[in-house]
Amino acid sequence: MIFKIAFKNIWRNKLRSWVVITAIALGIFGGLAVISTATGLTKMRQENAIKTYVSHIQIHDSSYVKFGRLEDEIAKDKEVLEYLHQQPEVYAASARLKVESFIQSAGGNAGVILNGINPETEKRLTSISELCEEGNFLENFKRKPPIIISRKLATKLNAKVKTTIQCSFSDPQGVPITGVFKVVDIFSTSNSMYDEFNAFVRLEDLRNLSGIEGSHEIALTLKDDQKVEDFRRQIIDRFPKYQIDSWRGIAPELGYADKMMDLIMTIFLVIIMLALAFGIVNTMLMAVLERKKELGMLLSIGMNKKKVFWMIIWESIFLALIAGPLGILSTFVAVKIFGKYGIDLSFAAEGLRSVGLDSVIYPELNSNYYIIISVLVIVTAILSSIYPALKALKLNPAETLRTA
Amino acid sequence: MITVSEITKVYDDGKVKVQALRGIDLEIKKGEFTAIVGPSGSGKTTLLNIIGGLDTPTNGQVTIGETNIASLSENELIDFRLNHIGFVFQSYNLIPVLTAKENVEFLMLLQKKNETERNERTIKLLKAVGLEDQINKKPSKMSGGQQQRVAVARALASKPDFVLADEPTANLDSTSTANLLDIMLQLNEEENITFVFSTHDQRVINRAKRVITVEDGKILSDERK
Repeated sequence: MIFKIAFKNIWRNKLRSWVVITAIALGIFGGLAVISTATGLTKMRQENAIKTYVSHIQIHDSSYVKFGRLEDEIAKDKEVLEYLHQQPEVYAASARLKVESFIQSAGGNAGVILNGINPETEKRLTSISELCEEGNFLENFKRKPPIIISRKLATKLNAKVKTTIQCSFSDPQGVPITGVFKVVDIFSTSNSMYDEFNAFVRLEDLRNLSGIEGSHEIALTLKDDQKVEDFRRQIIDRFPKYQIDSWRGIAPELGYADKMMDLIMTIFLVIIMLALAFGIVNTMLMAVLERKKELGMLLSIGMNKKKVFWMIIWESIFLALIAGPLGILSTFVAVKIFGKYGIDLSFAAEGLRSVGLDSVIYPELNSNYYIIISVLVIVTAILSSIYPALKALKLNPAETLRTA
Repeated sequence: MITVSEITKVYDDGKVKVQALRGIDLEIKKGEFTAIVGPSGSGKTTLLNIIGGLDTPTNGQVTIGETNIASLSENELIDFRLNHIGFVFQSYNLIPVLTAKENVEFLMLLQKKNETERNERTIKLLKAVGLEDQINKKPSKMSGGQQQRVAVARALASKPDFVLADEPTANLDSTSTANLLDIMLQLNEEENITFVFSTHDQRVINRAKRVITVEDGKILSDERK
């Protein structure tokens, strides 16, 4: 009967109850919408970084990480690659030779990292090949060795496909070396900073030019991104002399973004719950003050204070139980729709690209958040109705019957 | 039996002291149909509230049966009211979201009576007050007289030792008043239920079997008919 009265009580003032329910639902929807969008952004940034330049794991010679010298190659790069290709967890692995170079065309110059890559294996490892405008990932060329540069760098060098480019750097002995390449394609990733400072040539061309036989970096991606740390430890056990880092170690800013997102989400959840609490306290306080006489009557005829207290608490819980699912359901639907079709922010594409983001964002929300929100909504409803319920308990039956 | 001994009541808001009752002694026996009458401000509602344990006296004591109600804790007093006293209020005070049947059933639910007993007694009481065809109506769909009859049925639902009614006919027209008094007298005579009213309604006074007149917080007269 207490449940029945409590439930019926919330519909006494339908307009007020619906206003509160709508406010709570909108609060939940708004908060979760922001959280899901932010999660989508963070995940996109991580995925873009992993797909373009970080990969899941990178292997270097320890000295290369420390000093960045050309001679600090991975001594047994072929053995490492062979081992990686044999592991069922590995999706793709590729070796790279990296040389800091001064690059110039007839129209301009810039400092870049020349990445000597194996197009076949790199194609599987990164998305650069898919981002080439003409689909020529160092595969089709005539006499001069091919090079791929970014659209940003092309603009800076005033270069286009078929433009000849000269790259200069010093070999491990300090002897200046110059190579001539022909631009075969132009790419654009979602990270304009990366684009500006990276160009790709064939591994064998760069080896021939620099005289370096090995490679500086072996990057790999796994089939299951949840196993990165376990697999990293496995490679460390197998090749203890190398520096082996996961994407969190290589690009800590991506991990920080993750942590920052957790913090932002916590702040948002607190704000949502505070708004919910104030809404419920206000409504229930009004409901108690409006019903002083009735509550006094209930105490008079024999309804004990514990039951009156729980009746008020249940009224709040019912409000939350109606508003919570509405907010959560509307968020679920919105996340499903926008998660599939995306939110188009192309009006801010340039700004988003400068921080490694695409212009279409796909919101995403971990299912745990739905559970957390549901529990928090109920807990907040209970906590915020305690004050109005205590207020009801302080009523003096004779006084309320006389004056209300 | 209700025994009221040397009851005084002073309302003190810190600035003004108002003496509502000045040494009331009273005994009400099982089966009486008593009206406490007097002008507004005479202290009759205060006396009724003190008898019902809704208010505490400044001095004196109220004993119901063997129980001195001053000795009960707040929760014990609420339970005591639930099991021993029925209340009828001037403005009906039914639970607006419940039907007539649910309102009458409510006290029995608090008493944890089983469903069969609840249903049987609810129907019996609503029949007794002539509302067997209104059981599913909410108070807002009923007339004042009908609501007050539901209130009487509710007051009797918990099988109380006595019913306290504070000006039960004040908001009723003469037909409803007559009906209500008929019902209460019938319950009094047939089931020996004790009724104590506060009223200044002559129609009630005329039909009461005992009339206690209160003025300025004192009993002026106590007549049995």
